[in-house]
Amino acid sequence: MRPLDESETTQVFEKLFKFTGNNLKNIVESPSHEGPDQTPGRYCFRLHKNRVYYVSESLVKRATNIKRENLVALGTNIGKFTKSGKFHLTIQALNLLAANAKHKVWLKPTSEMSFLYGNDVIKGGLGRITDNINAYDGVVVFSMSDVALGFGIAAKSTQDCRKMDPNGLVVIRQADTGEYLRNQEDL
Amino acid sequence: MYKFVDLKPFRKPVFLKQIHRRTLCLEKEEMGEDEQQEVGYQIDLGNLTAFDPHHQFSSVPDNREDLVKECIAHGTKLIQAVADALFNLPSTEDASGPIVSLPPPSTKLPREKPLPKPKPPTKWEVFAKKKGIQNRKKDKLVYDEQTSSWKRRHGYDRVNDDNDIPIIEAKMTDEPGVDPFAKRRSEKKQRVEKQEKNRLHNLKEASKVGALPSHVQLAATALPITGTQTAPRKVSKDELQNVAGMAATSTASGGKFDKKLAGEKPPKHEKKYRKFLPVVEGSGMGSLEKQQSDKILNKLMAKNSHEILNVGKAVDMYNAKSDKKRRNQQGKSSSTSSKLKVKKSPYKNASKKKSSSKGKSK
Repeated sequence: MRPLDESETTQVFEKLFKFTGNNLKNIVESPSHEGPDQTPGRYCFRLHKNRVYYVSESLVKRATNIKRENLVALGTNIGKFTKSGKFHLTIQALNLLAANAKHKVWLKPTSEMSFLYGNDVIKGGLGRITDNINAYDGVVVFSMSDVALGFGIAAKSTQDCRKMDPNGLVVIRQADTGEYLRNQEDL
Repeated sequence: MYKFVDLKPFRKPVFLKQIHRRTLCLEKEEMGEDEQQEVGYQIDLGNLTAFDPHHQFSSVPDNREDLVKECIAHGTKLIQAVADALFNLPSTEDASGPIVSLPPPSTKLPREKPLPKPKPPTKWEVFAKKKGIQNRKKDKLVYDEQTSSWKRRHGYDRVNDDNDIPIIEAKMTDEPGVDPFAKRRSEKKQRVEKQEKNRLHNLKEASKVGALPSHVQLAATALPITGTQTAPRKVSKDELQNVAGMAATSTASGGKFDKKLAGEKPPKHEKKYRKFLPVVEGSGMGSLEKQQSDKILNKLMAKNSHEILNVGKAVDMYNAKSDKKRRNQQGKSSSTSSKLKVKKSPYKNASKKKSSSKGKSK
Protein backbone atom coordinates (compact mmCIF):
# COMPACT_ATOMS: atom_id res chain seq x y z
CA MET A 1 0.00 0.00 0.00
CA ARG A 2 1.37 3.37 -0.84
CA PRO A 3 0.13 6.86 -1.52
CA LEU A 4 -0.30 7.93 -5.10
CA ASP A 5 2.51 9.79 -6.78
CA GLU A 6 1.96 12.98 -8.72
CA SER A 7 1.08 11.60 -12.11
CA GLU A 8 -1.27 9.04 -10.62
CA THR A 9 -2.95 11.66 -8.46
CA THR A 10 -3.51 13.89 -11.47
CA GLN A 11 -5.14 11.05 -13.34
CA VAL A 12 -7.47 10.18 -10.48
CA PHE A 13 -8.43 13.77 -9.85
CA GLU A 14 -9.12 14.43 -13.48
CA LYS A 15 -11.43 11.47 -13.72
CA LEU A 16 -13.24 12.52 -10.59
CA PHE A 17 -13.44 16.08 -11.77
CA LYS A 18 -15.40 15.01 -14.81
CA PHE A 19 -18.20 13.89 -12.53
CA THR A 20 -17.97 16.26 -9.62
CA GLY A 21 -16.59 19.51 -10.96
CA ASN A 22 -15.73 21.90 -8.16
CA ASN A 23 -17.11 19.52 -5.55
CA LEU A 24 -13.86 17.66 -5.92
CA LYS A 25 -12.63 19.91 -3.18
CA ASN A 26 -15.18 18.37 -0.84
CA ILE A 27 -14.00 14.89 -1.68
CA VAL A 28 -10.33 15.59 -1.22
CA GLU A 29 -10.54 17.74 1.85
CA SER A 30 -13.45 16.33 3.77
CA PRO A 31 -12.70 15.53 7.40
CA SER A 32 -13.50 12.00 8.36
CA HIS A 33 -15.87 11.06 11.14
CA GLU A 34 -14.83 7.47 11.43
CA GLY A 35 -12.85 5.67 14.04
CA PRO A 36 -12.40 6.07 17.75
CA ASP A 37 -9.60 8.60 17.46
CA GLN A 38 -9.93 11.99 19.04
CA THR A 39 -8.89 13.90 15.97
CA PRO A 40 -9.70 11.82 12.94
CA GLY A 41 -7.67 12.89 9.98
CA ARG A 42 -8.96 13.43 6.51
CA TYR A 43 -9.71 11.10 3.72
CA CYS A 44 -6.85 10.12 1.51
CA PHE A 45 -6.15 7.94 -1.48
CA ARG A 46 -4.01 4.87 -1.28
CA LEU A 47 -2.84 2.51 -3.94
CA HIS A 48 -2.80 -1.21 -3.26
CA LYS A 49 -2.31 -3.78 -6.00
CA ASN A 50 -3.22 -1.28 -8.72
CA ARG A 51 -6.49 -0.39 -7.01
CA VAL A 52 -7.14 3.05 -5.62
CA TYR A 53 -8.90 3.22 -2.26
CA TYR A 54 -10.51 6.20 -0.59
CA VAL A 55 -9.74 5.76 3.11
CA SER A 56 -9.64 7.82 6.23
CA GLU A 57 -6.22 8.33 7.69
CA SER A 58 -7.04 6.60 10.94
CA LEU A 59 -7.91 3.45 9.01
CA VAL A 60 -4.70 3.65 7.04
CA LYS A 61 -2.66 3.77 10.18
CA ARG A 62 -4.24 0.59 11.38
CA ALA A 63 -4.02 -1.11 8.05
CA THR A 64 -0.26 -0.77 8.02
CA ASN A 65 -0.18 -3.56 10.55
CA ILE A 66 -1.44 -6.06 8.03
CA LYS A 67 0.93 -7.84 5.70
CA ARG A 68 0.82 -6.72 2.14
CA GLU A 69 -0.17 -10.12 0.74
CA ASN A 70 -2.87 -10.54 3.33
CA LEU A 71 -4.45 -7.14 2.84
CA VAL A 72 -7.36 -7.44 0.44
CA ALA A 73 -8.99 -4.04 0.49
CA LEU A 74 -9.46 -1.04 2.69
CA GLY A 75 -11.90 1.81 2.77
CA THR A 76 -13.76 2.40 -0.49
CA ASN A 77 -12.32 1.19 -3.75
CA ILE A 78 -12.93 3.94 -6.25
CA GLY A 79 -11.07 2.65 -9.25
CA LYS A 80 -8.13 0.80 -10.62
CA PHE A 81 -5.13 1.38 -12.83
CA THR A 82 -4.92 -0.76 -15.91
CA LYS A 83 -1.78 -2.53 -17.09
CA SER A 84 -1.00 0.40 -19.38
CA GLY A 85 -1.28 2.92 -16.58
CA LYS A 86 -4.72 4.35 -17.30
CA PHE A 87 -7.22 4.91 -14.52
CA HIS A 88 -10.82 3.63 -14.65
CA LEU A 89 -13.52 4.36 -12.09
CA THR A 90 -15.37 1.35 -10.78
CA ILE A 91 -18.90 1.01 -9.47
CA GLN A 92 -17.81 1.19 -5.86
CA ALA A 93 -17.14 4.87 -6.36
CA LEU A 94 -20.84 5.45 -6.90
CA ASN A 95 -21.62 6.62 -3.38
CA LEU A 96 -18.86 9.16 -3.46
CA LEU A 97 -19.82 10.43 -6.89
CA ALA A 98 -23.52 10.55 -6.21
CA ALA A 99 -23.00 12.75 -3.17
CA ASN A 100 -20.95 15.26 -5.12
CA ALA A 101 -22.25 14.97 -8.64
CA LYS A 102 -22.51 18.01 -10.86
CA HIS A 103 -24.66 16.54 -13.61
CA LYS A 104 -27.47 14.14 -12.90
CA VAL A 105 -29.88 12.15 -14.98
CA TRP A 106 -33.10 10.57 -13.70
CA LEU A 107 -34.51 7.49 -15.36
CA LYS A 108 -38.11 6.49 -15.82
CA PRO A 109 -39.12 3.38 -13.89
CA THR A 110 -39.51 1.42 -17.11
CA SER A 111 -35.95 1.90 -18.23
CA GLU A 112 -34.30 1.33 -14.87
CA MET A 113 -34.06 -2.40 -15.41
CA SER A 114 -32.58 -1.95 -18.83
CA PHE A 115 -29.85 0.24 -17.41
CA LEU A 116 -29.12 -2.18 -14.61
CA TYR A 117 -28.66 -4.95 -17.11
CA GLY A 118 -25.84 -3.02 -18.67
CA ASN A 119 -27.51 -1.15 -21.51
CA ASP A 120 -26.99 2.51 -22.32
CA VAL A 121 -29.69 5.08 -21.68
CA ILE A 122 -31.87 6.10 -24.62
CA LYS A 123 -33.89 9.22 -24.76
CA GLY A 124 -37.13 7.39 -24.32
CA GLY A 125 -36.02 6.26 -20.90
CA LEU A 126 -34.96 9.70 -19.73
CA GLY A 127 -37.02 11.20 -16.95
CA ARG A 128 -35.15 14.32 -15.97
CA ILE A 129 -31.82 15.80 -16.84
CA THR A 130 -29.84 18.66 -15.32
CA ASP A 131 -29.20 21.73 -17.35
CA ASN A 132 -26.01 22.69 -19.09
CA ILE A 133 -24.55 19.31 -19.66
CA ASN A 134 -21.94 19.37 -22.37
CA ALA A 135 -21.24 16.41 -24.55
CA TYR A 136 -18.96 13.80 -23.01
CA ASP A 137 -19.40 15.10 -19.47
CA GLY A 138 -19.54 12.72 -16.57
CA VAL A 139 -23.08 12.04 -15.48
CA VAL A 140 -24.56 10.11 -12.51
CA VAL A 141 -27.70 8.14 -13.20
CA PHE A 142 -30.52 8.08 -10.63
CA SER A 143 -33.90 6.47 -10.48
CA MET A 144 -36.96 8.66 -9.99
CA SER A 145 -36.81 7.97 -6.27
CA ASP A 146 -33.31 9.42 -6.13
CA VAL A 147 -31.54 6.13 -5.75
CA ALA A 148 -28.17 6.14 -7.45
CA LEU A 149 -28.01 3.49 -10.13
CA GLY A 150 -24.69 4.09 -11.81
CA PHE A 151 -22.73 6.57 -13.84
CA GLY A 152 -21.67 7.20 -17.39
CA ILE A 153 -20.75 9.71 -20.02
CA ALA A 154 -23.28 12.04 -21.60
CA ALA A 155 -23.43 11.37 -25.31
CA LYS A 156 -25.06 14.65 -26.15
CA SER A 157 -25.51 18.03 -24.50
CA THR A 158 -28.78 18.90 -22.87
CA GLN A 159 -29.89 21.04 -25.81
CA ASP A 160 -29.21 18.26 -28.28
CA CYS A 161 -31.03 15.80 -26.09
CA ARG A 162 -34.25 17.70 -26.52
CA LYS A 163 -33.99 17.69 -30.26
CA MET A 164 -33.09 14.01 -30.55
CA ASP A 165 -35.40 11.23 -31.64
CA PRO A 166 -36.64 8.98 -28.82
CA ASN A 167 -34.34 6.10 -29.66
CA GLY A 168 -31.16 8.12 -29.56
CA LEU A 169 -28.38 7.42 -27.11
CA VAL A 170 -28.19 9.86 -24.20
CA VAL A 171 -25.83 8.33 -21.67
CA ILE A 172 -23.10 5.84 -22.37
CA ARG A 173 -23.04 3.55 -19.38
CA GLN A 174 -19.73 3.16 -17.57
CA ALA A 175 -20.81 1.43 -14.36
CA ASP A 176 -24.10 0.37 -12.83
CA THR A 177 -25.13 -1.35 -9.61
CA GLY A 178 -26.03 -4.50 -11.55
CA GLU A 179 -22.31 -5.14 -11.77
CA TYR A 180 -22.30 -6.21 -8.17
CA LEU A 181 -24.09 -9.32 -9.35
CA ARG A 182 -22.60 -9.70 -12.78
CA ASN A 183 -18.93 -9.09 -12.04
CA GLN A 184 -18.66 -10.44 -8.55
CA GLU A 185 -15.23 -11.88 -9.14
CA ASP A 186 -13.70 -8.73 -10.53
CA LEU A 187 -14.60 -6.47 -7.65
CA MET B 1 45.61 99.13 -36.05
CA TYR B 2 43.66 98.47 -32.96
CA LYS B 3 45.15 98.65 -29.55
CA PHE B 4 43.97 96.88 -26.50
CA VAL B 5 42.77 99.35 -24.01
CA ASP B 6 42.87 97.18 -20.96
CA LEU B 7 46.22 95.76 -20.06
CA LYS B 8 45.26 93.60 -17.10
CA PRO B 9 46.56 90.07 -17.62
CA PHE B 10 43.35 88.17 -18.28
CA ARG B 11 40.72 90.74 -18.96
CA LYS B 12 40.13 91.47 -22.58
CA PRO B 13 37.81 94.27 -23.64
CA VAL B 14 34.31 93.20 -24.52
CA PHE B 15 34.37 94.58 -28.03
CA LEU B 16 36.88 91.96 -29.07
CA LYS B 17 34.19 89.94 -30.76
CA GLN B 18 33.20 92.80 -32.92
CA ILE B 19 36.69 93.12 -34.32
CA HIS B 20 37.11 91.68 -37.73
CA ARG B 21 38.68 88.35 -37.39
CA ARG B 22 41.22 88.67 -40.11
CA THR B 23 42.76 91.76 -38.60
CA LEU B 24 42.85 90.08 -35.25
CA CYS B 25 45.02 87.43 -36.73
CA LEU B 26 47.45 90.02 -37.94
CA GLU B 27 47.38 91.66 -34.57
CA LYS B 28 48.43 88.61 -32.80
CA GLU B 29 51.57 88.57 -34.76
CA GLU B 30 52.26 92.23 -34.29
CA MET B 31 51.66 92.25 -30.60
CA GLY B 32 54.05 93.77 -28.25
CA GLU B 33 55.56 91.92 -25.40
CA ASP B 34 53.02 93.08 -22.88
CA GLU B 35 50.26 91.46 -24.77
CA GLN B 36 52.17 88.29 -25.48
CA GLN B 37 50.89 86.61 -22.41
CA GLU B 38 47.36 87.47 -23.37
CA VAL B 39 47.45 85.79 -26.71
CA GLY B 40 50.13 83.26 -26.00
CA TYR B 41 47.50 80.55 -26.17
CA GLN B 42 48.59 77.31 -27.64
CA ILE B 43 45.88 76.41 -30.09
CA ASP B 44 45.62 72.83 -31.26
CA LEU B 45 43.16 72.88 -34.12
CA GLY B 46 43.35 69.13 -34.69
CA ASN B 47 41.81 68.58 -31.27
CA LEU B 48 39.93 71.93 -31.28
CA THR B 49 41.56 73.01 -28.03
CA ALA B 50 43.35 76.09 -26.72
CA PHE B 51 45.74 76.07 -23.80
CA ASP B 52 46.87 79.06 -21.81
CA PRO B 53 50.24 78.26 -20.21
CA HIS B 54 50.70 81.65 -18.60
CA HIS B 55 47.52 81.80 -16.65
CA GLN B 56 47.71 82.90 -13.03
CA PHE B 57 45.02 83.85 -10.60
CA SER B 58 45.88 87.34 -9.40
CA SER B 59 43.85 86.60 -6.29
CA VAL B 60 42.16 83.34 -5.62
CA PRO B 61 38.50 84.14 -4.98
CA ASP B 62 37.02 82.98 -1.72
CA ASN B 63 33.88 81.18 -2.69
CA ARG B 64 33.35 78.64 -5.36
CA GLU B 65 30.85 80.61 -7.43
CA ASP B 66 33.24 83.47 -8.03
CA LEU B 67 35.96 81.02 -8.93
CA VAL B 68 33.62 79.37 -11.39
CA LYS B 69 32.67 82.70 -12.90
CA GLU B 70 36.27 83.66 -13.40
CA CYS B 71 37.13 80.36 -14.97
CA ILE B 72 34.18 80.60 -17.32
CA ALA B 73 35.18 84.10 -18.33
CA HIS B 74 38.69 82.99 -19.10
CA GLY B 75 37.42 79.92 -20.83
CA THR B 76 35.32 82.01 -23.21
CA LYS B 77 38.45 83.79 -24.26
CA LEU B 78 40.14 80.57 -25.05
CA ILE B 79 37.16 79.37 -27.02
CA GLN B 80 37.14 82.64 -28.88
CA ALA B 81 40.73 82.08 -29.86
CA VAL B 82 39.90 78.65 -31.17
CA ALA B 83 36.97 80.00 -33.17
CA ASP B 84 39.13 82.70 -34.65
CA ALA B 85 41.78 80.26 -35.72
CA LEU B 86 39.09 78.00 -37.15
CA PHE B 87 37.66 80.73 -39.30
CA ASN B 88 41.08 81.53 -40.61
CA LEU B 89 41.50 78.15 -42.20
CA PRO B 90 40.83 77.90 -45.95
CA SER B 91 37.25 76.71 -46.38
CA THR B 92 35.34 75.06 -49.18
CA GLU B 93 31.76 75.96 -49.88
CA ASP B 94 29.08 73.38 -49.33
CA ALA B 95 25.28 73.32 -49.32
CA SER B 96 25.14 73.62 -45.51
CA GLY B 97 27.94 76.17 -45.19
CA PRO B 98 31.73 76.51 -45.35
CA ILE B 99 33.62 73.31 -44.65
CA VAL B 100 37.09 73.39 -43.15
CA SER B 101 39.46 70.45 -42.95
CA LEU B 102 41.28 70.44 -39.64
CA PRO B 103 45.04 70.03 -39.51
CA PRO B 104 46.46 67.03 -37.66
CA PRO B 105 46.55 67.51 -33.87
CA SER B 106 49.71 68.86 -32.35
CA THR B 107 49.24 67.80 -28.71
CA LYS B 108 50.61 64.41 -27.95
CA LEU B 109 48.23 62.33 -25.84
CA PRO B 110 49.74 59.87 -23.36
CA ARG B 111 49.81 56.17 -24.12
CA GLU B 112 46.74 54.15 -23.32
CA LYS B 113 48.55 50.90 -22.72
CA PRO B 114 52.07 50.41 -21.37
CA LEU B 115 55.03 50.07 -23.71
CA PRO B 116 55.41 46.59 -25.16
CA LYS B 117 58.09 44.54 -23.54
CA PRO B 118 61.09 43.65 -25.68
CA LYS B 119 60.79 40.16 -27.10
CA PRO B 120 63.41 37.64 -26.04
CA PRO B 121 65.43 36.46 -29.04
CA THR B 122 64.26 33.23 -30.62
CA LYS B 123 66.38 30.12 -30.77
CA TRP B 124 67.33 30.82 -34.34
CA GLU B 125 68.21 34.44 -33.60
CA VAL B 126 70.53 33.36 -30.82
CA PHE B 127 72.21 30.84 -33.09
CA ALA B 128 72.50 33.29 -35.98
CA LYS B 129 74.05 35.90 -33.77
CA LYS B 130 76.55 33.45 -32.44
CA LYS B 131 77.56 32.23 -35.89
CA GLY B 132 77.34 35.64 -37.48
CA ILE B 133 74.75 34.58 -40.07
CA GLN B 134 73.21 37.47 -41.93
CA ASN B 135 69.65 37.49 -43.09
CA ARG B 136 69.50 37.61 -46.90
CA LYS B 137 66.41 38.69 -48.74
CA LYS B 138 65.01 36.01 -51.06
CA ASP B 139 63.25 36.65 -54.33
CA LYS B 140 59.79 35.38 -54.98
CA LEU B 141 60.68 34.12 -58.45
CA VAL B 142 63.53 31.74 -59.09
CA TYR B 143 64.87 30.73 -62.49
CA ASP B 144 64.34 27.07 -63.14
CA GLU B 145 66.97 25.59 -65.51
CA GLN B 146 65.04 22.51 -66.35
CA THR B 147 62.06 24.30 -67.77
CA SER B 148 64.07 27.53 -68.45
CA SER B 149 61.37 29.62 -66.92
CA TRP B 150 60.82 31.69 -63.86
CA LYS B 151 58.98 29.76 -61.25
CA ARG B 152 57.90 30.86 -57.87
CA ARG B 153 59.86 29.80 -54.86
CA HIS B 154 56.89 28.64 -52.75
CA GLY B 155 53.41 27.47 -53.63
CA TYR B 156 51.81 26.02 -56.75
CA ASP B 157 54.18 24.84 -59.43
CA ARG B 158 57.23 25.71 -57.41
CA VAL B 159 60.89 25.28 -58.12
CA ASN B 160 62.55 22.22 -56.61
CA ASP B 161 59.27 20.63 -55.60
CA ASP B 162 59.97 17.54 -53.57
CA ASN B 163 57.05 15.57 -55.02
CA ASP B 164 58.12 16.12 -58.61
CA ILE B 165 61.30 14.09 -58.53
CA PRO B 166 60.69 11.02 -60.72
CA ILE B 167 63.89 9.08 -60.11
CA ILE B 168 66.17 8.99 -57.11
CA GLU B 169 69.49 7.37 -57.79
CA ALA B 170 70.62 4.86 -55.24
CA LYS B 171 73.77 5.68 -53.35
CA MET B 172 76.31 3.25 -51.97
CA THR B 173 75.16 3.98 -48.43
CA ASP B 174 71.54 3.08 -49.18
CA GLU B 175 70.17 -0.17 -47.84
CA PRO B 176 68.14 -2.24 -50.25
CA GLY B 177 64.45 -2.36 -49.37
CA VAL B 178 64.30 1.20 -48.07
CA ASP B 179 61.94 3.42 -50.04
CA PRO B 180 63.82 6.70 -50.69
CA PHE B 181 60.60 8.57 -51.44
CA ALA B 182 59.05 7.56 -48.15
CA LYS B 183 62.29 8.44 -46.45
CA ARG B 184 62.16 11.92 -47.92
CA ARG B 185 58.61 12.38 -46.80
CA SER B 186 59.33 11.27 -43.24
CA GLU B 187 62.37 13.51 -43.08
CA LYS B 188 60.28 16.46 -44.14
CA LYS B 189 57.71 15.61 -41.52
CA GLN B 190 60.40 15.52 -38.87
CA ARG B 191 61.71 18.89 -39.95
CA VAL B 192 58.25 20.38 -39.75
CA GLU B 193 57.72 18.94 -36.29
CA LYS B 194 61.03 20.27 -35.10
CA GLN B 195 60.12 23.68 -36.41
CA GLU B 196 56.78 23.61 -34.64
CA LYS B 197 58.50 22.61 -31.41
CA ASN B 198 60.89 25.51 -31.73
CA ARG B 199 58.05 27.91 -32.42
CA LEU B 200 56.22 26.83 -29.31
CA HIS B 201 59.37 27.08 -27.29
CA ASN B 202 59.92 30.62 -28.48
CA LEU B 203 56.38 31.54 -27.57
CA LYS B 204 56.82 30.09 -24.14
CA GLU B 205 59.94 32.10 -23.60
CA ALA B 206 58.17 35.21 -24.72
CA SER B 207 55.19 34.57 -22.50
CA LYS B 208 57.47 34.10 -19.52
CA VAL B 209 58.67 37.65 -19.97
CA GLY B 210 55.20 38.83 -20.87
CA ALA B 211 56.04 39.74 -24.44
CA LEU B 212 53.62 37.47 -26.30
CA PRO B 213 52.48 38.82 -29.68
CA SER B 214 49.01 40.32 -29.24
CA HIS B 215 47.09 37.87 -31.43
CA VAL B 216 48.47 34.95 -29.43
CA GLN B 217 47.70 36.77 -26.22
CA LEU B 218 44.08 37.25 -27.22
CA ALA B 219 43.78 33.64 -28.30
CA ALA B 220 45.04 32.45 -24.96
CA THR B 221 41.92 33.58 -23.15
CA ALA B 222 42.88 31.73 -20.04
CA LEU B 223 45.71 34.15 -19.51
CA PRO B 224 44.80 37.61 -18.25
CA ILE B 225 45.21 40.39 -20.80
CA THR B 226 47.83 42.87 -19.79
CA GLY B 227 46.37 45.66 -17.76
CA THR B 228 43.35 43.83 -16.34
CA GLN B 229 43.49 41.03 -13.81
CA THR B 230 40.38 38.84 -14.02
CA ALA B 231 40.22 36.58 -11.00
CA PRO B 232 39.80 32.91 -11.90
CA ARG B 233 36.25 31.71 -11.15
CA LYS B 234 36.11 29.49 -8.10
CA VAL B 235 33.98 26.41 -8.66
CA SER B 236 32.02 25.42 -5.57
CA LYS B 237 31.81 21.90 -4.24
CA ASP B 238 28.15 21.51 -5.18
CA GLU B 239 28.76 22.70 -8.70
CA LEU B 240 31.60 20.27 -9.09
CA GLN B 241 29.45 17.43 -7.77
CA ASN B 242 26.66 18.30 -10.14
CA VAL B 243 28.91 18.49 -13.11
CA ALA B 244 30.73 15.31 -12.14
CA GLY B 245 27.40 13.50 -11.83
CA MET B 246 26.22 14.74 -15.18
CA ALA B 247 29.47 13.76 -16.82
CA ALA B 248 29.43 10.33 -15.24
CA THR B 249 25.94 9.49 -16.48
CA SER B 250 26.36 10.94 -19.95
CA THR B 251 27.60 7.72 -21.47
CA ALA B 252 25.62 5.37 -23.68
CA SER B 253 24.54 3.14 -20.81
CA GLY B 254 24.05 5.87 -18.26
CA GLY B 255 27.37 5.33 -16.52
CA LYS B 256 26.44 1.88 -15.22
CA PHE B 257 29.42 -0.03 -16.54
CA ASP B 258 32.13 2.54 -15.99
CA LYS B 259 35.04 1.64 -13.81
CA LYS B 260 34.64 3.28 -10.45
CA LEU B 261 37.44 5.40 -9.09
CA ALA B 262 39.27 4.52 -5.89
CA GLY B 263 37.27 6.48 -3.36
CA GLU B 264 33.96 6.65 -5.21
CA LYS B 265 30.92 5.46 -3.31
CA PRO B 266 28.45 3.13 -5.01
CA PRO B 267 25.28 4.82 -6.25
CA LYS B 268 22.62 5.28 -3.63
CA HIS B 269 19.90 3.52 -5.64
CA GLU B 270 21.06 0.57 -7.66
CA LYS B 271 18.25 0.09 -10.11
CA LYS B 272 15.32 2.17 -11.24
CA TYR B 273 14.33 4.41 -8.37
CA ARG B 274 10.90 5.79 -7.71
CA LYS B 275 10.39 7.89 -4.65
CA PHE B 276 7.04 7.59 -2.89
CA LEU B 277 5.52 9.50 -0.04
CA PRO B 278 5.29 7.70 3.32
CA VAL B 279 2.16 5.59 3.77
CA VAL B 280 1.19 7.06 7.06
CA GLU B 281 2.14 10.60 7.84
CA GLY B 282 4.73 10.66 10.57
CA SER B 283 4.52 13.10 13.43
CA GLY B 284 7.77 14.85 12.61
CA MET B 285 7.44 16.37 9.17
CA GLY B 286 4.67 18.42 7.64
CA SER B 287 2.06 16.85 5.45
CA LEU B 288 3.71 16.30 2.11
CA GLU B 289 0.80 14.34 0.80
CA LYS B 290 -1.65 17.10 1.58
CA GLN B 291 0.62 19.57 -0.19
CA GLN B 292 0.88 17.37 -3.22
CA SER B 293 -2.81 16.74 -3.54
CA ASP B 294 -3.58 20.40 -2.95
CA LYS B 295 -1.19 21.42 -5.63
CA ILE B 296 -2.73 19.06 -8.13
CA LEU B 297 -6.24 20.06 -7.14
CA ASN B 298 -5.48 23.74 -7.61
CA LYS B 299 -3.92 23.12 -10.96
CA LEU B 300 -6.98 21.21 -12.07
CA MET B 301 -9.37 23.85 -10.81
CA ALA B 302 -7.42 26.59 -12.47
CA LYS B 303 -7.40 24.75 -15.76
CA ASN B 304 -11.18 24.48 -15.68
CA SER B 305 -11.89 27.82 -14.06
CA HIS B 306 -13.58 29.03 -17.21
CA GLU B 307 -16.34 26.57 -16.56
CA ILE B 308 -17.03 27.76 -13.05
CA LEU B 309 -19.13 30.69 -14.14
CA ASN B 310 -22.03 29.29 -16.09
CA VAL B 311 -22.63 32.10 -18.52
CA GLY B 312 -25.66 30.54 -20.09
CA LYS B 313 -27.36 30.11 -16.77
CA ALA B 314 -26.55 33.67 -15.77
CA VAL B 315 -28.03 35.00 -18.98
CA ASP B 316 -31.16 32.91 -18.58
CA MET B 317 -31.67 34.06 -15.03
CA TYR B 318 -31.32 37.64 -16.09
CA ASN B 319 -33.77 37.18 -18.94
CA ALA B 320 -36.29 35.48 -16.68
CA LYS B 321 -36.08 38.33 -14.22
CA SER B 322 -36.66 40.96 -16.87
CA ASP B 323 -39.55 38.95 -18.31
CA LYS B 324 -41.18 38.76 -14.92
CA LYS B 325 -40.79 42.50 -14.38
CA ARG B 326 -42.49 43.17 -17.68
CA ARG B 327 -45.29 40.78 -16.86
CA ASN B 328 -45.79 42.39 -13.47
CA GLN B 329 -46.11 45.78 -15.04
CA GLN B 330 -48.64 44.46 -17.52
CA GLY B 331 -50.41 42.68 -14.70
CA LYS B 332 -50.75 45.94 -12.72
CA SER B 333 -52.33 47.61 -15.66
CA SER B 334 -54.79 44.70 -15.99
CA SER B 335 -55.77 45.20 -12.29
CA THR B 336 -56.29 41.82 -10.69
CA SER B 337 -56.41 41.70 -6.94
CA SER B 338 -53.02 41.05 -5.51
CA LYS B 339 -54.49 38.61 -3.00
CA LEU B 340 -55.62 36.30 -5.77
CA LYS B 341 -52.34 36.40 -7.51
CA VAL B 342 -49.94 33.66 -6.66
CA LYS B 343 -47.00 35.23 -4.88
CA LYS B 344 -43.80 33.96 -6.27
CA SER B 345 -40.61 34.94 -4.50
CA PRO B 346 -38.06 36.24 -6.98
CA TYR B 347 -35.26 34.78 -4.92
CA LYS B 348 -36.12 31.16 -5.49
CA ASN B 349 -33.37 29.09 -7.02
CA ALA B 350 -33.65 29.59 -10.73
CA SER B 351 -32.10 26.25 -11.59
CA LYS B 352 -34.61 24.35 -9.52
CA LYS B 353 -37.40 26.14 -11.28
CA LYS B 354 -35.82 25.38 -14.58
CA SER B 355 -35.14 21.72 -14.10
CA SER B 356 -38.59 21.13 -12.70
CA SER B 357 -40.16 22.93 -15.63
CA LYS B 358 -38.04 20.90 -18.03
CA GLY B 359 -39.01 17.70 -16.32
CA LYS B 360 -42.69 18.55 -16.63
CA SER B 361 -42.34 19.31 -20.28
CA LYS B 362 -40.86 15.87 -20.87
